[in-house]
Amino acid sequence: MNLYTSFMLITLIILSLPLATNILYVHKNKAYASYVKLSIAYAFITSIIPTTLFIFSGQEMIISNWHWMIMQTLKLTLSFKLDYFSILFVPVALFVTWSIMEFSMWYMHADPNINQFFKYLLMFLITMLILVTANNLFQLFIGWEGVGIMSFLLIGWWYGRTDANTAALQAILYNRIGDIGFILTMAWFLMYSNTWEFQQLFMLDNNLDMLPLVGLLVAATGKSAQFGLHPWLPSAMEGPTPVSALLHSSTMVVAGIFLLIRFHPLMENNNNIQTLMLCLGAITTLFTAICALTQNDIKKIVAFSTSSQLGLMMVTMGINQPYLAFLHICNHAFFKAMLFMCSGSIIHSLNDEQDIRKMGGLFKAMPFTSSSLIIGSLALTGMPFLTGFYSKDLIIESTSTSNTNAWALLITLIATSLTAVYSTRIIFYVLLGQPRFISMPIINENNPLLINPIKRLVIGSIFAGFFLSFNILPMNTPQMTMPTYLKLMAMAVTLLGFVLAMELNIMTNNLKLKIPSSTFKFSNMLGFFPTTMHRPIPLLNLYMGQNTASSLLDLTWLEKTMPKIMSKTQMTLSTTISNQKGLIKLYFMSFIASALMMFLLIS
Amino acid sequence: MLKIIIPTIMLFPVIWYSNSTLIWINMTSYSLMINLMTLPLLNQAGNNSNNFSLTFFSDSLSSPLLMLTVWLLPLMIMASQHHLMKESLTRKKLYLSMLISLQMFLIMTFSATELILFYILFEATLIPTLIIITRWGNQTERLNAGLYFLFYTLIGSLPLLVALIYVQISLGSLNYLVMNIWFQDMSSSWSSNLLWLACIMAFMVKMPLYGLHLWLPKAHVEAPIAGSMVLAAVLLKLGGYGMLRLTIILNPTTKIMAYPFIMLCLWGMIMTSSICLRQTDLKSLIAYSSVSHMALVIVAILMQTPWSFMGATALMIAHGLTSSMLFCLANSNYERIHSRTMLLARGLQAFLPLMATWWLLASLTNLALPPFINLIGELFVIMASFSWSNVTITMTGLNMLITALYSLYMLTMTQRGKFTYHIHNIKPSYTRENTLMSMHMLPLIMLTLNPKIIMGLTY
Repeated sequence: MNLYTSFMLITLIILSLPLATNILYVHKNKAYASYVKLSIAYAFITSIIPTTLFIFSGQEMIISNWHWMIMQTLKLTLSFKLDYFSILFVPVALFVTWSIMEFSMWYMHADPNINQFFKYLLMFLITMLILVTANNLFQLFIGWEGVGIMSFLLIGWWYGRTDANTAALQAILYNRIGDIGFILTMAWFLMYSNTWEFQQLFMLDNNLDMLPLVGLLVAATGKSAQFGLHPWLPSAMEGPTPVSALLHSSTMVVAGIFLLIRFHPLMENNNNIQTLMLCLGAITTLFTAICALTQNDIKKIVAFSTSSQLGLMMVTMGINQPYLAFLHICNHAFFKAMLFMCSGSIIHSLNDEQDIRKMGGLFKAMPFTSSSLIIGSLALTGMPFLTGFYSKDLIIESTSTSNTNAWALLITLIATSLTAVYSTRIIFYVLLGQPRFISMPIINENNPLLINPIKRLVIGSIFAGFFLSFNILPMNTPQMTMPTYLKLMAMAVTLLGFVLAMELNIMTNNLKLKIPSSTFKFSNMLGFFPTTMHRPIPLLNLYMGQNTASSLLDLTWLEKTMPKIMSKTQMTLSTTISNQKGLIKLYFMSFIASALMMFLLIS
Repeated sequence: MLKIIIPTIMLFPVIWYSNSTLIWINMTSYSLMINLMTLPLLNQAGNNSNNFSLTFFSDSLSSPLLMLTVWLLPLMIMASQHHLMKESLTRKKLYLSMLISLQMFLIMTFSATELILFYILFEATLIPTLIIITRWGNQTERLNAGLYFLFYTLIGSLPLLVALIYVQISLGSLNYLVMNIWFQDMSSSWSSNLLWLACIMAFMVKMPLYGLHLWLPKAHVEAPIAGSMVLAAVLLKLGGYGMLRLTIILNPTTKIMAYPFIMLCLWGMIMTSSICLRQTDLKSLIAYSSVSHMALVIVAILMQTPWSFMGATALMIAHGLTSSMLFCLANSNYERIHSRTMLLARGLQAFLPLMATWWLLASLTNLALPPFINLIGELFVIMASFSWSNVTITMTGLNMLITALYSLYMLTMTQRGKFTYHIHNIKPSYTRENTLMSMHMLPLIMLTLNPKIIMGLTY
């Protein structure tokens, strides 16, 4: 079984090689971008070996190799955990990133800093892998923060644009709110369990307080953009499309869910936290699906659909099915990355046009991209025997057969149906009908750098779910029997969504333009969330910083009460008490007078 | 110890006998060589301190600080080259002599065994600093800043002298090495509370405690670059060092007396961080961020647990390097833009990409990105305060959030965005500047690989 550790380490080493060789200029005769892409492809191949072994034998392993420090009773080492989750996630992430890298070679080819861009993407991936393979909380925190910072850099890639900078800062803000929860959990574990190693944590006590678990949930809410801390995710669309693809498929946003999956042994007996997760997930999945309905920016729709899927994963965590949530993470990575790449291809071909109202009829112009987009959308909605089906259908089934909150279930079902609605909307507006874009752009999708990665991911979107669920070991007892109507429920709501959306879309073409209703406004304005949360609260804080902290306390009270008042009193006192009044003439006069007097007396 | 102090003193003849062309290179290389002398100090075998004589010693608390002090001298010299370009040769030499005398006092302060000697040297460091601020500062406000600096520190530290004399009489010795063994618990009376205040206030002002911090932004903003660097990196740490040393003899009064101060620090941390969010002046922002970081150190020291002591020591070193680097970066902006206002220096990333990298790294260390030692420091302090009282996590957590925000705000403001047209013809960054930044960054990275050497006494 030594192949496990050695090949996993080789994978990590191959991945980090381009960062090192970048300084040494060994890739002089080859573009740095393709060098990075190649190393990721190789890393993918080497990472397959431990995965195959795992599927074969089901053995898990820990690599623990470098003592960082030992403080009092706490030992911090560099250790990697190669268990079910990490060992399956690594090849998926590498496969998807490989395609994204190739895609960005096409998408970013005109960027002067393309090498830097690839370096950032690679570091993003590496930090994510650190997060996934970490075996203690500290190492996980390194990956966790690293992912956050790299997303800051990548979202703000076009740093001349104010929007990009704001979006980058927003991502950090929301993530940091989540980090407070993470730190809280770390502190709690250190205090009560005196360890940060996962095995020891899970072994010690499985009936914890709510506090650390809520901390974890807050952390996951920040990172995975659950309701309340979600607005950064659509804003993050300011970044280049490859960044969005990477961010939304295999890195960053799934990190929060992954954290919860990791800590599942502590949560499986705690009903309160599960209810919290369930409700949070259900609200997220519905709210973001509603927001996706009326967006016009193609990337924003896809972004909201990610958010909705993340909510679905959270629901899965809430019904105590971490393995299912994990499967959905893996499946989701394939088609979500591909959807972003397709929209990137469309945006690029239409001269950076992102508005779906100005597209249309692309089915003729870009057949390959269109068919991939349709496959991706169908996989997203859970079309039978495409990738999404294998996890999404199971999730809905186990939600409906589990002993759970009916409201949460209902909300989830509505959101599932809405998934079909917005997917139809994209397909309808972008691909069907008459072209509504100006006829100038030269549409060309024949670049192999564009076609090959999408092709790979199309195959992934069709077969990956089957392969994954065919090969991995069943970790929990699947629900074998259920009434027919429950079995068909997911499919039925999705079909309903499709039909409804198609009818509505066709109908809107024949209708007069009306003043938008308030429901439309609610959806289009993202539930008025940014309006109500992004203005007043920061304004209040900044006012407090300026008025209370700076002007009132620092510049007035502290300045006046201590130094100023002291010098003032000293000055007043000294002028009052002192005899010395500055009357020079008088002093000289008295001097002369006394001298004269003395003179007179002597004489 | 003499092998560090005597070479430092011999720096004086080196400046005054160097000719004008060699003055910088001589000074820098010589002071870097002194650094080599301090390296063996980091090897602290076992729990014993390295006692060099009855007067000087070093242990695992003082040697990292000593190391930091000595490391900073060449950096200060490198940083002030541009600032002194227009000065006459004698004045350059005078300025450097001031830096060296400050260095000498600091080395002795950190290695003194006697508290009275420590006190005298602690006060002696004021003189060269005052001269540096008031003579070489850039604006007229420097005189005011100098006044604030001097009077705050003096008023804080005079009671300490009285208290030390009293302790000398009652204990019979002020030697750290003996104090550990000899100290008796303080009685619970008003007088011991006053004694506690007298002992701690001097350092609280130096750190500075929120409320007593007014001198710091003024001094930082007005001081020339070397002054800002040494203030942020080392002089503030004198306060932390003194507190760590003195709290040993202040038991158990600290347990009661610490409450208001911990509260004040937690509150002040948030306040100063929010001030940072509204700063337009780059140097003032960095100065306020120092106040908020030092508040964490005070909290840690007052809590008096092994973890918090480790965190405090690590955070002091980490913050020393980081804030000094930020001041250097601010200075390199100032030398090009001729203003400290952040709005005037937008979009510099397009012109100076390497400098932007340094900015990025400095901001990231300032916001405590794992696994930098800044994070280790902050994390340990937060852990310690969490176990002291769970509620503190709201304050420390909020501070973490705001710290990240203002650090990145600073980065975004200066490096990102559209550039302004008046910076079209700025000079490229010099090798000197890049070396300077990398010499701040390298120790940070290397200490991150092996943080245990800066964990202090309780490691």
